Amino acid sequence: MIEKGKISAFQMALMIEPTVVATAVLVVPSVTAKVAGRDMWISPIFGSLVGFFSLFIVYQLHKHFPEKSIIQYSGDIIGRIPGKIIGLIYLFFLLHSSGIITREYADFIIAAFLPRTPMFVVMGGMILVCAFTVLSGLEVLGRAAQVFVPIFMSTPLLFILLIPDLKLENIVPIMEHGMMPSILGAVIPQGWLSEVSLISMFLPFLKDREKGGKWGIISVIVIILHLVIINIVCLLLYGESVTSYAFPVLTAFRYISVATFFEHLEAVVVIIWVMGAFIKISVFYYVLVLGTAQWLNLSDYRPIVFPIGFLVCLVCIWAAANGQELGRFLRTISPFYIPSIMTFIPMLLLLIAIIKKKMRNKRQPVPTNP
Amino acid sequence: MIWTVFAITVGVVLLILFEWPKMKQNQKKEKAAFVTLTAMGWLLAILLVFFPDMPGPTQMIEKLFKPLGKLIE
Repeated sequence: MIEKGKISAFQMALMIEPTVVATAVLVVPSVTAKVAGRDMWISPIFGSLVGFFSLFIVYQLHKHFPEKSIIQYSGDIIGRIPGKIIGLIYLFFLLHSSGIITREYADFIIAAFLPRTPMFVVMGGMILVCAFTVLSGLEVLGRAAQVFVPIFMSTPLLFILLIPDLKLENIVPIMEHGMMPSILGAVIPQGWLSEVSLISMFLPFLKDREKGGKWGIISVIVIILHLVIINIVCLLLYGESVTSYAFPVLTAFRYISVATFFEHLEAVVVIIWVMGAFIKISVFYYVLVLGTAQWLNLSDYRPIVFPIGFLVCLVCIWAAANGQELGRFLRTISPFYIPSIMTFIPMLLLLIAIIKKKMRNKRQPVPTNP
Repeated sequence: MIWTVFAITVGVVLLILFEWPKMKQNQKKEKAAFVTLTAMGWLLAILLVFFPDMPGPTQMIEKLFKPLGKLIE
């Protein structure tokens, strides 16, 4: 096996939480509000169905091939050449989305705090830090998640300071136009939640494999809670005008003012958010590097860490001409693009694996145990 | 523009000098993968310097998923 490190299921859950939430907090509230209106806080709950579904599929596939990742078992399921093609599509998706995530990070940091810094400095700095993490291996990534993610997950607690500004009447009437708006609004969060299926690359390296499914479910539940809290706060704070903000969560933290001297908390929040973004980029980057090494049957993934980081930087610049174009891509294309790779391909693989197993059992009946 | 190309080339050469001694003699496949990926990166970087508006992966995916994207626009 290429990766010799082992992580615990708990660390895996901690790594997956910011992998979904870190960029979802930027885009999801305002985009969901456009579709779902006042019912936007219900949408992540419907969206979670896709999260649970991807988790279930990936876990079933893991039970069939406990030692292998999706890049490796796709070859076992549908043959060597088609498996390599599926792997290539998967790797292309990972490279493209790593670039897009880095771009989202860089755009956000530039828009919020460093307006005069050239993009390649912001982006290159982050990729360099992530490259050293990936170079150190999975155990280091797990430990980093253990240190940073609890801090990242505690940011909703700061919303307590916002309570005086929240208007409870913004939330009623709940489900004014029936269930449909909130279900349609779930199109956006479900794209992000399907990224949970990245655990297929981590499951083979777990120390306690029997707990993998349990911690996966817990991490999806925490993700929903996080998104629901953020959506409720944005809704109560802005009402339906939330759609007009580029980064509603950041602006929400700007509202915090306790006794007029405890202000500008957004600086602290962005520091914490960068930790989450760091884990997210590292997870995607690590999965991309490890997947490429497995796809090429290399004995070690370390030599290709920096070349791939260079490619990620280039895709990050190449991904979109400007912020508007990227925003439109994230709003209209990615809710279909992400699940089609992260949920649909594993689903097809699982179906084929089950059918193949049934046919094999039919052809050579298993000797019945006395 | 020529300086950007120069800077990129220097960066790539430094990357190779940094990474090459770490690889062992018998890691032929790793060396091949490393060289291919670095060459791809260098070529793409040079292309992006001269044609920054080159249609990229995002445009390709956008074309593929456009019919679905129209549903929620």
